[in-house]
This record gives sequence, structure tokens and C-alpha cells, in this order.
Amino acid sequence: MTKTYFALLRLLPAVLLPLLAACGGTDRSERGPMVLAAASLQESLEDAAAAWTARGRAAPVLSFAATSALARQVEQGAPADLFISADEEWMDILAGQGLLRAGTRRDLLGNRLVLVAKRGSEVRSLAALGDRRLALADPAAVPAGKYARAALESLGEWQAVESRIAPAENVRAALALVERGEAPLGIVYATDALASSEVEVVRELPAASHPPIRYPAAVLAGSKHPESAAFLEFLSSAEARRVFLRHGFGPPP
Amino acid sequence: MTGWLTPAELSIVALSMKVSVAAVALTLPLAYALAWLLARRCFPGRLLLDALVHLPLVLPPVVTGWLLLLLFGRAGPVGGWLEEQFGIVLVFRWTGAALAAAVMALPLMVRAMRLSIEAVDRRLVEAARTLGARPWRAFLTITLPLSAPGIAAGAMLGFARSLGEFGATITFASNIAGETRTLPLAIYSGLQLPGAESLVARLSVISIVLSLAALVVSELLVRRSGGGRAHVL
Amino acid sequence: MSFEVSLHHRVGECRIDLAFVSQASLTALVGPSGAGKTTVLNCIAGLVRPERGRIAVGEAVLFDSNSGKHLAPERRRAGYVFQDARLFPHKRVDANLRYGERIAPRAERWIGYDEVVEFLGIDHLLGRWPANLSGGEVRRVAIGRALLSAPRFLLLDEPFASLDPARGEALMELVERIRDRLGIPILLVSHDRDEVDRLAGQVVTLG
Repeated sequence: MTKTYFALLRLLPAVLLPLLAACGGTDRSERGPMVLAAASLQESLEDAAAAWTARGRAAPVLSFAATSALARQVEQGAPADLFISADEEWMDILAGQGLLRAGTRRDLLGNRLVLVAKRGSEVRSLAALGDRRLALADPAAVPAGKYARAALESLGEWQAVESRIAPAENVRAALALVERGEAPLGIVYATDALASSEVEVVRELPAASHPPIRYPAAVLAGSKHPESAAFLEFLSSAEARRVFLRHGFGPPP
Repeated sequence: MTGWLTPAELSIVALSMKVSVAAVALTLPLAYALAWLLARRCFPGRLLLDALVHLPLVLPPVVTGWLLLLLFGRAGPVGGWLEEQFGIVLVFRWTGAALAAAVMALPLMVRAMRLSIEAVDRRLVEAARTLGARPWRAFLTITLPLSAPGIAAGAMLGFARSLGEFGATITFASNIAGETRTLPLAIYSGLQLPGAESLVARLSVISIVLSLAALVVSELLVRRSGGGRAHVL
Repeated sequence: MSFEVSLHHRVGECRIDLAFVSQASLTALVGPSGAGKTTVLNCIAGLVRPERGRIAVGEAVLFDSNSGKHLAPERRRAGYVFQDARLFPHKRVDANLRYGERIAPRAERWIGYDEVVEFLGIDHLLGRWPANLSGGEVRRVAIGRALLSAPRFLLLDEPFASLDPARGEALMELVERIRDRLGIPILLVSHDRDEVDRLAGQVVTLG
């Protein structure tokens, strides 16, 4: 019994050391800055980061989720370097808590809101929804959902659908609901509709019906990566802009 | 308690109870049947069945939710058939949340019931047979009553698990207020909002209290049945 | 009514080879511990299926390996009093007694509840739980339960084991009365030669 005990004890360092090395020992400059970005930026930001890496820089680490979820993480002290939000409100909240590095905030992109349906679907307008549901990002917290609600409210169509919404975790989850056919209609960004081959746009919501869609970006106050500011500069550059345009984004309004 | 919670919060608790009670009630017969099969019968594929029953216990809940979507979503084989034949849709409905909770609770219920069935001395069933009881009657009069505490314990355990079910529910049934936004989902939604700390705190306290109570009751039932009453004297 | 038993069976290391015919009102099956006496009773009761053989009680053939006949236990009408009694712990004494009686068709019942209770002297035990009975009382209730199930024959497995002399004597007198008054054949297993000599009309040795 004690023999096996000591044998195992000798194995312990062999097991623990690599673990410890992996934890603290990684030199941060071996990987690029950690970027928390709104879900709708998934493909475009990945392409932009690839262009950055092609220049010989360390590859940034990208994390996509609903802006609200990411902002909460930043509030709780998540060790990230950059934050790209899908609306101003969340960025304002973080700024108010002193979580942004001064002077780095700028508006990166713009977007449009569209009503989509699965390709070949018969339901093509809100009036035809019946007892099925309209998918959108959670209008209580997620920017895409907030814009959608604002748009429908100003168009006088919100009341009719308010009880028939399927609030999703983020705008991509809403898109997925439409792609799967669970919800016949959804409101997502024009860029999301472009990114999906299974849905088509049935109506574009006029830009005047909702607050302008802006994607502010900033370096976080707690950022320690030496290339954070440089990467943000790159994202604002003409080259990165071309990448985003290819995916359907527009300049910031 | 009702003064401490807003009506909206009360309805969340009520929905959670409704979903969990439905999940356990509907799964009970199936869980007992599976428990009995695994406890008392030898058949090819028994090991596989055992593993399948326990799968939701070890699979990431999101995967379970995704599998439910594949089967019971509108585009899925079972879901499509249900909608076509009966007009039943599970996604976005509390029945879908109940199904997700039921699948996650099943392994725990089967385990508890199987243990109590195995604890029933087969010699008692033999005695019943020699007294003229056919197998079905012997089951109803001997095995079932003697394993009853295990049924109750399994049900309580399943109820506790259902109350806390999140991953499969949000993946399969989505997060619809009033339909599928059970306690855990409501807490999660609250976490996404700025300034909802007190809501999250209140709902979390309820969640803890309910789960603890269910666990304690389940444990008490197991102890009661362990008093040797299932054994030959 | 007679017992006609021939069976060959293997249980692990133990081989059982038995053949006998008995017309006695009480037949004893004796043999050393581990010879398989309980297994023989289990075969006659239908709880175990022997490899080969034939078992008949009276005119009823219960098992015949040649014809493939193997009657289920509930159809053999054996009144089996187990060595460990096996009273149902979740039922009181009266419910235990009535268990088999309820199942037996009315026409087949040849002894009444009150008669059995009086015969066995267990009137004062009826409301009790099996857990609260002494060893001797448990045996009596087990015998009563078996008698009330309208059996065609009785199987008693070591009914006097681990009873103190007074209780053992009382039980022996009881078995004698059953043998003499109730008129159904009894097969009794015992390792005690004295008991056997006193009670048995025929003795069969195993092993």
C-alpha cells in the first residue's frame, strides 16, 4: 500500500509541472491581444485578425458573445485587452465605471437591421406570423434586440408582436432559430443575413426607425498587452475597413 | 414570501414548479420500468441500455439540448410528426422545458428506483409465487409496495434536478418569459441586465432553498426505506 | 396421494440424483448439510428447473423433462413453508395469512381462516407485524399462510431448526396434527434423525 503511495507521489511533479507551466508561464507577447467582440462581428473580425497576423504579428485571441454578456464579464474583471460593442449604451456603462483606457474609444462600424425568413418560407411578413414566433436577440439587454424593438416601436408594429417574440441569447442565436425553422421570422443585422446561406431578407428596417447602429471599440483600462493599441489602430485602418465592407458592414454613422 | 417577491418573480417560481412537477410525473412510469428492467432482467444489450439511461448525467447539457432539437424540433423526425398529427410544438413551450428537464432527471430517478428494487428480496417474490401469485400479481403486491420509498426518493431527486435544469432547456426550448423561463433561466437573464442584482439574489435564494428541501426529503425517504423492511425476516 | 419424484440436477459442485415414490402421509427427506435438500424442495415447488427428471404429486404431473412439461410455481398448488419463513414484512399477520387464500379459487379452498387460526393457536397475533414475532410464532404464521393457499401438498423445510425445546415440541405436535387430521401429503426436510423417526412414515435419504 505504501509502495504504491510513494510511487504515485513521485509521479506528481511530472503531472503538475506542465500544468503550472501552462498556467502562469505563458509569455503574453506570444499571443496577440484578447478581444471581446459582439457576436455579429464573428466572421469579419476573424478575417481582419488574419490580415493582422499575415503581417507577422501575434494572432489576437477573439471571443464572441452578446455585447451584454461581454460587458458583464469586463465589469467582473475579465482579463481582456479590447472590447468592441454593438451599441453605445454598453460602452457608456463601462466608461462610467472607468474600465476604458482614456483616449482610445472610437466608432468602428455601422450596420443595418433586416427582417429575415428561411429560404422558401411562406411566412414573409409580421402580419402573417399567426401563433408562431419572431426571433430576435433579447430586447432587454442585447443591442440587436434593443435596436429591433426600437424600430418596431417607432413603426407601430411592436405591440402586435410583443407577446410572440423568441428572445435569443445573441443575434446569431436568433439567426439560428430562423435557419432551423423554429421561428419563421427574425430580426438580425444585414451582415448576419449575408453571412447565412439559409435565410433571405424579406424587408429592411429603415435606418430612421431606430437609433443609429454604431460599433464603438476601445482598449480596456486593465489591458497589459503591448500591441492592444496598435491592433485597435489597425482595425480603424483602410485595409481593415475593406475587410468589414466585404462582409456588409458600413462606416460608422 | 409573497410580499418579498414581485408578481413577475412569483410567476417564474410557479412556472418552475409546473415544469418540474410535469417532468417528474410524466417520467415516473418510464423510470420505474427501466429501473425494473435493469434490476431484474438479463438481456442482450442490457449494458448498452444502462449506459444510454445514464448518458444525460455525463453529457454536457447543451449537447443533450441539441440532441433534443434534432429529434423534437419542428424539423426533427419526432417533432415534425407531433406537429403534423397533433399540432403539438415543444420548442418555445413549457412542455418543451418539461421534456428537457425530464430527460436530465431520468438517470437520477432510475438509479434511485433501481437500488430500491434490487433491495427487495427475491425470495419474497418466490414465496408469493408458491402461494399462487402470477408474476404480475407478485410484482404489484410485493415488489412495488416494497420499493415504494425508492420511487418517492427518486421522484424527489428528479424534482430537484428539474428545478435546476438550465443547459438543455435553454438550448432546446429557448428562453421565453412565461413559457420556458424557469428559475435558472430567469437568473441567467437577470445576470445579463445591468442593475438586476437584487432580482438575481432573490431568485437564487429561492432556488437554493427549494433544491435543499427536495434533497433533504429525498434523503429522509431513502433512510426510511433502509429500515430493513424490504428484507426477509 | 403420493409423491413420485425422480430428478437429476447440478448446482455448482453439488450433484443431486434422487428417485423415490412415497404414499406416506408424511415423507421425510434427510441428508447431510449441503446435500441439496432445499434444492429438491425448490424443484418440486417449481422455483428451480431440474436438468432431467419427472415430478408428480398425486395425479398431477408437475415436471417432465421428456415431454418438456414444467408447470409454473403458481400453478403447482404447493404449500411451501420455507426455512426462512419469508413472511411479507409490509403486511400484518392477518394479511400474510390471507395472501394465498385470496388468490385461490373458492371451490379449491378446503380449510377456513378461523379454523387455521384456531388450529395453529395464533389468534393473538393477527394484528401484529412480522417484525414483532418470535421465531416460533413466525413459523406458525408461515404454516398458516401455506395451509390457507389451498395447497394439494405441503413442503416443510427444516421447520424445527433453531427453536428452543419447548417451542420445538409444540411445533412437532402441530405437524403431527396436520399429518393426522388434515389429510394432505407432507414432504419434510430435516437433518435431525429424532424428529424424522417420530414424524415420518417414510424416509428418503439424499447424498
